Amino acid sequence: MSTDSFDPDEGVTETQVRERLDRVTDPELDTSIVELEYIDAVRIDGGEVRVAMTLPTAWCSPAFAWMMTTDARDEVESLPGVERARIELREHMHEAEITRGVNERLSFGEAFPDADGSVDPVRAELDEKARIARQHDATGALLDAGLDGDQIVTLTREDVTVEDGRAHVWCRAGGLAVVVEADPLERYLEKARATGRLDDDHPELFRTPEGDPIDPAQFETVRHRTRLAGVNMSGQGSVCDALHESRRAEDRPPLSMRSD
Amino acid sequence: MYEYEGEDVFVIDSHLHLWDATEENIVHEGGEQFIQCFYDYHTAFTPEEKQWSLEEYRKYGADRMKEDLFGSAAVDMGIFQPTYLTDFYDEGFNTTEDNAELAEEYPERFVLNGTFDPRDGEEGLAYLEELNDKYDLQGVKLYTAEWRGESKGWRLDSEESFRFLEKCAELGIRNIHPHKGPTIRPLNRDAFDVADVDDAATSFPELNFVVEHVGLPRLDDFCWIAAQEPNVYGGLAVAAPMAVHRPRKFGEIMGELLFWLGEDRLLFGSDYALWNPDWLVDVVMNAELTEEQRDEYGVELDLETKKKIMGENAAELYDIDIEAKKEQFKSDDVTEEFGLADHYAGSSAAPADD
Repeated sequence: MSTDSFDPDEGVTETQVRERLDRVTDPELDTSIVELEYIDAVRIDGGEVRVAMTLPTAWCSPAFAWMMTTDARDEVESLPGVERARIELREHMHEAEITRGVNERLSFGEAFPDADGSVDPVRAELDEKARIARQHDATGALLDAGLDGDQIVTLTREDVTVEDGRAHVWCRAGGLAVVVEADPLERYLEKARATGRLDDDHPELFRTPEGDPIDPAQFETVRHRTRLAGVNMSGQGSVCDALHESRRAEDRPPLSMRSD
Repeated sequence: MYEYEGEDVFVIDSHLHLWDATEENIVHEGGEQFIQCFYDYHTAFTPEEKQWSLEEYRKYGADRMKEDLFGSAAVDMGIFQPTYLTDFYDEGFNTTEDNAELAEEYPERFVLNGTFDPRDGEEGLAYLEELNDKYDLQGVKLYTAEWRGESKGWRLDSEESFRFLEKCAELGIRNIHPHKGPTIRPLNRDAFDVADVDDAATSFPELNFVVEHVGLPRLDDFCWIAAQEPNVYGGLAVAAPMAVHRPRKFGEIMGELLFWLGEDRLLFGSDYALWNPDWLVDVVMNAELTEEQRDEYGVELDLETKKKIMGENAAELYDIDIEAKKEQFKSDDVTEEFGLADHYAGSSAAPADD
């Protein structure tokens, strides 16, 4: 039986919940919160699912924490058989505000009255960074498959079709098609869609970090910049990962219980 | 001096603090969270046998600091970078005045940087002048995300900030060290954003902008700005300790930095007491790029490059004559105190004129 199927007599399973949570990414790292081991516990009580999570540091941006906890709530609630998801954020500077806000379905502004604005621009910026990093993997796969920069910069959305885990890429400039593994292209398309790059005035599939079509003479520079975006994300991932290990060490002093 | 394969490497630790995070000094929960967060960084990247307890980490004092820097002969000179955080700490976390305790005792070994906060207006300008009169500043450390009443930060490219940068230029304070690091509070991500360095660097070509922590977690934005602004430098505090447990990642980051900025614009810093230079210098000196990384980036992290990063680049910015210093350090107070005479004896100072 597929773990995705829902049996009304059995209810939702922890595996199903974790699979759904796997779709939620740490927006700064573009990596799944399950893979990053942020999930401490999943408890299922009939139609209610409780998820407890801890981020690598108590100082993790509240905006990022907000995105992850609300995304987790929405993903879990999208499972058939789940009536309500309750998320508990632990050991965070703003655990009380975030846990309450997420479960009471407040807006970020309601949860943080002193915040300067909505969380949306922050999410958009991080989505854009994720798109750039994913572009590096996608264009790398195409270079490996034999396309050159001149051909890659002219590709449009219509030139790519995905079937059975393979992507067929039609290169009109050279009058040829290449077949590559679908994953890097699909991952790129997902973020290109999220950032609106597939719906704007340009037909080109790949863009500069600023979102413009790529001048063929600039292809190498753009490749280097997309590489840099990925190194930045994985570099930050290493920092978070190290902090995560450190705060979970058995002999770590407890966080302060001070109150002002 | 650090000795590497028989060669002397003059080490200028460009990022030092003498801080006080004792519970008595904390006035706001933010102060406690701040030191706890630092401590997470400390334990995350420090080899287990070199880790401190949280209590000794809160306040270590001048003697311990001196021992940690010079006792193991890891560091030849250091640059103090103050972090006031007066909304969090009663007497400040790490002020210029605190750092002066050591810097004034050993002026030949330390560079004392000041600071400014444009939100202080006229009073702030007067304080900057006062610091400069007193300590003859060559640099300032800026903490753009510092809380001040209702404000949760400021921008380096603001009109108010430009008044202070103009004052720096006028006073001959050439080295501006903005801290650009992890995000802390709701939607104040902008406060640590490196984008504001761009316009400031373009507008003040006579000043040098040393972006601390190489903009992590915005290494991409930082490198792209630095690639276009020749007066932008990278301070390696926080990136450096990755060389311990994540050497491959460290290599990648160094690969990017060397690719975009080159070997003349990177400065080693331990961020003491976040990390202790006695082991960190050793780890960085022994770090290598993989063959794959050398191919990918087309750069080298060889001894010559490391010598620049560990001291020569900072010496250039702060007008430090390394050969003269080596000569001086054969018999200065620190050398006497820690018995370093042999250590400096073999250094090849320039032949005397007579």
